[in-house]
Amino acid sequence: MIELRHVSKYYPTDKGRKYVLENVSLTIPDDVNLGILGRNGAGKSTLLRMLGGIDFPSEGSIHSNNSFSWPMGLAGGFQGSMTGRQNVKFVCRIYGKSPGEIQKAIDYVQEFSEIGAYFDQPIKSYSSGMKSRLSFGLSLYFDFDYLIIDETLSVGDANFQNKAKTRLREKIERCNILLVSHAMAVLKELCDAGILLHEGKVYYYDDIKDAITAYTEINKPS
Amino acid sequence: MKAVHRSSFEIFSSVVSALFLREIQTRFGTKKGGYFWALFDAMLMVLIFAGLKSLVAEKSMPGIDFPVFLASGFLAFFMFKNIVNGAMGAFSANAALFNYRQVRPFDTLVSRVLVEILVSTMATLAFIGIGLYFEFNIAVKDFSMVILAVAWLVLFAFGFGLFSAVMATFFENYAKIVQVIMTPLLFISALMYTVESLPQALREVILYNPLVHFIEMIHGNFFTTLTTEYVDYTYMFFWTFIPLFAGLYLYRASEKRIIST
Repeated sequence: MIELRHVSKYYPTDKGRKYVLENVSLTIPDDVNLGILGRNGAGKSTLLRMLGGIDFPSEGSIHSNNSFSWPMGLAGGFQGSMTGRQNVKFVCRIYGKSPGEIQKAIDYVQEFSEIGAYFDQPIKSYSSGMKSRLSFGLSLYFDFDYLIIDETLSVGDANFQNKAKTRLREKIERCNILLVSHAMAVLKELCDAGILLHEGKVYYYDDIKDAITAYTEINKPS
Repeated sequence: MKAVHRSSFEIFSSVVSALFLREIQTRFGTKKGGYFWALFDAMLMVLIFAGLKSLVAEKSMPGIDFPVFLASGFLAFFMFKNIVNGAMGAFSANAALFNYRQVRPFDTLVSRVLVEILVSTMATLAFIGIGLYFEFNIAVKDFSMVILAVAWLVLFAFGFGLFSAVMATFFENYAKIVQVIMTPLLFISALMYTVESLPQALREVILYNPLVHFIEMIHGNFFTTLTTEYVDYTYMFFWTFIPLFAGLYLYRASEKRIIST
């Protein structure tokens, strides 16, 4: 369960505070795969980051006893001069994994990412697709209560996308996802409930379809 | 499928050691010449000033091998400088890692300080090797006091580095100012001369520089013919703990902002 209590998030600008969220109170029940919708700049990623504990409300508080992944598909957390293998080891060490577990993670990521000999090359020689594959595989290896996914389901070629989706579906059997996406098909497929961010307000829908309908509604030219 | 619960200290130590290994790998990876650069600064200074001194050919420090005098001071000075610079850049260089919620800005700073301590230790060992090979007199008068002085200098550098890291996050020009100050500091930190050897008026001015006290404490305990009479321990104490506590306070107050910017 995730509980938001009177959460506001704003950024100071020349013209005063620019609110992304304004006094939002909301309870997200357990065992719900949540899709987050909203226009560009509505604060979807900010909300996602706050739920994951890597950004913080300006006012109010967020409570949860669950564990959260880092934003999935994150390639920025890699050190360019280190190899793929070294980067995988680094993330495992942060999470306090034993050498045995680290080896398992390496095997898994190496198999999943299909980047061959590049696995032992510095990350800076990777294409962006290769980086995403590595990062995606790494996120899938770890166990969290919630996976945080920020628009990264469209990496790689069709073949790889299918593989990624299959693995993700297996993963969802065991954990929940918080997903930001503009792809309605993906949201319908993976999420149960949805929230819509619009003009600083948050609307919660028990059914993702209702959220999508509402989102389509606000995007209609008036 | 709950993740195993870990205490905050367990998380801290696994994060710091992961960051430490990461820094070492980037720094001393193949083709980087990291080992060479670790020695370079201090070695260059010793060669320049020992060379200059031999040109002038005056014998102002009887009983002391001048290169040893230079090396002991410069190694300490560069350790201070590298810790401060490393700490000051720790947050911005590792900002991407704050996406992993276990990684706190403070951890990146601690790991960088540890790396600098390791590098300085290696440089010192290399200098000792060189000193032995060329049969310099590297006997130490009071070894434990030298170690104490160096450890105290590490604490000073850590506190000042922490304070600077927070300031540099919020004031763009702060880091530049510190870096600009570091260069003249090389000449006014009693590295190529002793405080004793200076004229009275200059002596009084230079003693406002806290580094002078640390360097004099090292020199005075290293060489039998030198003393620590100009070292003001109270002054060193203030310079250690005011930045340290100010840094800790500012860090606590702004940790979330550092993570999210």
